[in-house]
Amino acid sequence: MSTIAGGPVRRYRPVSGLMILVLLVAFPFRSNAADSTVRVQLDATKIGPRAVEGLTEPAVTRDYRNAWSSLAQALEVNSLDSIRGAFTGDSQRVLTATITSQQKSGLHQRYLDQTHKLVAVFYAPEGDVIELHDTAEYQQEVLDGGKVIQNERVTIHYVVLMTPSADGWVVRYLQAVPQF
Amino acid sequence: MRRLLIIVSVVCAAADCWGQSFDIRVPATIVAGDAATIATTGNGKATFYLVGPGVSRKKDVKLGEEIQVHPEDLRNAGAYLSIVCSDVCKRATFYVSAATPASLTFLVHPSRVPVSQGDAVSGVAFPFDPFRNLVLNPVAIDFQLTERGTSALSFSKAVRTENGVAWFRTSSGKSAGALQVGATLDGVSARRVVQQVASDPCNLRIEGQRTPLGMLVRTNPIHDCTGNPVPDGTVVTFTATEANGKSTLDVPIKQGVARAQIAASGGAVISVASGVVMGNEIRVGTRP
Repeated sequence: MSTIAGGPVRRYRPVSGLMILVLLVAFPFRSNAADSTVRVQLDATKIGPRAVEGLTEPAVTRDYRNAWSSLAQALEVNSLDSIRGAFTGDSQRVLTATITSQQKSGLHQRYLDQTHKLVAVFYAPEGDVIELHDTAEYQQEVLDGGKVIQNERVTIHYVVLMTPSADGWVVRYLQAVPQF
Repeated sequence: MRRLLIIVSVVCAAADCWGQSFDIRVPATIVAGDAATIATTGNGKATFYLVGPGVSRKKDVKLGEEIQVHPEDLRNAGAYLSIVCSDVCKRATFYVSAATPASLTFLVHPSRVPVSQGDAVSGVAFPFDPFRNLVLNPVAIDFQLTERGTSALSFSKAVRTENGVAWFRTSSGKSAGALQVGATLDGVSARRVVQQVASDPCNLRIEGQRTPLGMLVRTNPIHDCTGNPVPDGTVVTFTATEANGKSTLDVPIKQGVARAQIAASGGAVISVASGVVMGNEIRVGTRP
């Protein structure tokens, strides 16, 4: 530390800013993004009447993961933007209604730390629709404004229909059921 | 002092003064589009939340009274979370199931198929209720295929849905033309049309005659093996093999036959083919 005109002066050292940046990268602030992991496993061994092709299985897994990531984001911020492209048909209609209704009621939902165990149960002879059974486990939070009114880890069973799109698979139908 | 604490604890336990003074009870099963009643115990004011597929509601309620959930809030099958918050929040989940089938989503492939092909036509049907919920309870769907010009069914099969889907696969019919494909379920039906076209040519034969310009060759009327005329526009290939080389000519079928003028001055062997089907050969001598 040097002195100018009798007073102490704190000299800026570039390395300090760099260290802060490194620390921020190494230890990010805890945020919802850290919990928004979506893990998806697909078991396509019991499927019929058509076998799932080698390239189809990872594509379905990838696009289902993206769909749930989009769904979680859409229901948390009450925005329709993120569900476009991942959902279509009946699933898009229901999700749109949910988000519109949440905008009116002031509620939000968070789906955190998601795990989806998918079993493919039907793949159409021409490959134009696949039915999946999803045993999903996640932390579900319901918020009224900023107040958490429900926070619980739940296991929900979903029946899912996915259809091919121009560059992947989209969720056409998504329904929770008590059991398979 | 100790006695006073015990009395307070007993009174609090009896009055649930630790915030456990109410409970909620939801119906075991609800069919889509029906109303529902959620029972509460306790007394005082509370806030009721309903979170489900397509719905998010919040309203003030009185504990100890029933909460009415309107049919329009229960149209989508799935899991509904009901939460009642007073000094604490309590929750209960219930499921709405699909109503009776009101429509069929019916996918049929292909749209155009050659006749007499094994396992060439397939169909997949999903029953939906009036609110577009997939009906997961098993139901029997009748699949029927009828060829044009006949009232007899070329295929009929009742298939029970499994996981909300029924499907079939069968051979194409014998006659070119429209194949009506139907799916029926308790008065609900869906129809699709598959265009059946002639299969590959059968007994492809040519004949020829000398002309001043060479050889005029023409096929007999071209049919598939079940007698359906092969459509105009189908390409037929004529090949002339001479001593000095080979020449080919692609000709579309017009009015059931294919014709070609081949400039063969010397001796030649002329053959015909369409797709993978070979026809006969004719030998032409040197022009006199």
